[in-house]
Amino acid sequence: MAKLLEIRDLHVRIAGGREILRGVDLDVGAGEVHAIMGPNGAGKSTLSCILAGRPGYEVTRGSVLYQGRDLLALSPDERAREGIFLAFQYPVEIPGVNNTYFLRAALNAQRRHRGEKELDATQFLKEVKARLKLLDIGEDLLSRAVNVGFSGGEKKRNEIFQMVMLAPKLALLDETDSGLDIDALRIVSNGVNRLRDPSRGIVMITHYQRLLDYVAPDRVHVLSEGRIVASGDSRLAGELERRGYAHLGSAA
Amino acid sequence: MSAASAAPFVTAFQARRPAEGDPRWLRQHRETALARFAERGYPTRRDEAWRFTDLQPLTAKPILPATDQARGAPILPADARLAGPSHRLVLVNGRYDTRLSAPGALPPGVWLGSTAAALEMRPNVARAALDDVASASDQAFAALGLAFFSDGFILALEPGIVLDTPVEIIHLGEAPTPRAFHLCNAVIAGEGSRASLIETFIGSGPCWSNVTTILDIGAGAVLRHAKVQDEAPEAVHLSRSFARLHRAARYEGVTLTTGARLSREDIRVTMAGEDARLSLNGAYLLRGQQEATIAPIVDHQAPGATTVERVTGVMTDRSHGIFLGTVMVRPGADRTDARQTNRNLLLDAGATATTKPELTILAEDVKCSHGATVGDLDAASLFYLLARGIDEPTARLMLIEAFAADGIDQADVGDALSAQLRRRLDLWLDRAERRE
Repeated sequence: MAKLLEIRDLHVRIAGGREILRGVDLDVGAGEVHAIMGPNGAGKSTLSCILAGRPGYEVTRGSVLYQGRDLLALSPDERAREGIFLAFQYPVEIPGVNNTYFLRAALNAQRRHRGEKELDATQFLKEVKARLKLLDIGEDLLSRAVNVGFSGGEKKRNEIFQMVMLAPKLALLDETDSGLDIDALRIVSNGVNRLRDPSRGIVMITHYQRLLDYVAPDRVHVLSEGRIVASGDSRLAGELERRGYAHLGSAA
Repeated sequence: MSAASAAPFVTAFQARRPAEGDPRWLRQHRETALARFAERGYPTRRDEAWRFTDLQPLTAKPILPATDQARGAPILPADARLAGPSHRLVLVNGRYDTRLSAPGALPPGVWLGSTAAALEMRPNVARAALDDVASASDQAFAALGLAFFSDGFILALEPGIVLDTPVEIIHLGEAPTPRAFHLCNAVIAGEGSRASLIETFIGSGPCWSNVTTILDIGAGAVLRHAKVQDEAPEAVHLSRSFARLHRAARYEGVTLTTGARLSREDIRVTMAGEDARLSLNGAYLLRGQQEATIAPIVDHQAPGATTVERVTGVMTDRSHGIFLGTVMVRPGADRTDARQTNRNLLLDAGATATTKPELTILAEDVKCSHGATVGDLDAASLFYLLARGIDEPTARLMLIEAFAADGIDQADVGDALSAQLRRRLDLWLDRAERRE
């Protein structure tokens, strides 16, 4: 059976600009949790952007298969409906678009795509309320505009809340842990752990070891200067914490 | 415009049946107004205030006043009316329509009726209002409107009266060939009174609505006033209101413009009393070749008054949205607080936004600000919606809706009026969606 995600020799540059990813290879299987670590500017966020389909990047070489299909041929909304979820590093504030309305539109778009019945307002609200509790998010979130006036921590929790609601097949978390205090980190981690499932892949992009104390990864990769320069099990993260990235970067 | 192009109007005026039953003073007002119009003619692009307005739909061929009643029995679409209870007046082709109107039982101290009825039943109120129109008729369209107005509405509230049920005035224009409807309206809100009012303009065919409204808001009175202009795509809509706010009076105005080939809202507000509060919200949502202007001029003459203007424009195709906002703070109007915002969304390369917020400050210790933006949909917001699986046309529409709603959702006009504005906005969005 095809892997959930197969990245081969991926080269990506900023549209009309410099090359950021310079030959990335990565496989993510169903049921696996991967952590991608690396110094600033290594290309970690570019990797998540290219997988989610953010405009402004160009693939110059290589391929990305998602469940055996060419991911790069799909539009961002098709990718999401096919089960890819990106938890944004900087969630966007959208004034005037109500959170509930937005999330229901998203969920129903995905349900329609899978040939499932759309949820009506009552069913949806029931689902939502159960999960809000789980993530310790107040119900006032439902009446607010998407991320407007949210603190940094609330925005990140809202990302995880959406992720839990949409139940993706492949979740990409782009520095979801940055800017979180210890309580928020625990809540976010609980959300991620809840999603661990034999049918689901999770890729966490992070600077720090501390998220990995709460969500134990199956694999840890180090991205440096646009390439994965080291891979290992969760012990690699601890080693990086002690020794830093420098010795790995030169090894590449 | 030369006097020569006013000639058809002069002829039309002379041909009017004298049996209209005007009192002598009104006949004089009309004659003076016509003479003024004949002398001055339409404004041109040389007039600074009309520099951006393309009056070609009016000047190409004179659109003369309607002389006959609408034929047949016009139907009032359900979505033109408030969903809940109201005191409703309907004017069809510029005249009060008894069949479609439902003024209901009015509490004591409230008078509501057509201008024609007011001339008979409340001559003093009608005269005071029309005297005000006359003194404003240095403006060409106010002059033409006074000369030819067929009807309108008048709402008068005695001091202290609170009218809970909203008043709704629906103007229905139906003309197979170009026809003008001139209307003169007035709202006189006595000291401490409260009311909410929604005016809706709809119709079919090349109608020209020319509307003048006098608003007098007494000390401590509150008037909530919504206007929906969704006239036919070939219609012309020109309207001007003259509002006077007395001490601690409050005026919540909101206008939603989605109709007419050419439209213009001139809103002139005099902050005559201390601590008066004005809020003007609005949205123009345009497509095709539509051109719409919102031009508020707020004149702060007394200290401590507040103005908040918030207008948004959404322009597609080759449409043109224009915001001309002027705030003037006279000497002595200290502690004035005035904010103007005009945000525009241009969705096609051929669409245009013109925005001119202006401030003149001649007083001390004032807080005034203005801001204007023109741009496309926010790319980051769009990607965020797409990344959750929402398809692009839907995502764009969600963002357009949010942007458009911003101008009207801030208006504090009560649930019934807000719901109706929202409903009209949704209708526009549905039309925009179906075309995509």
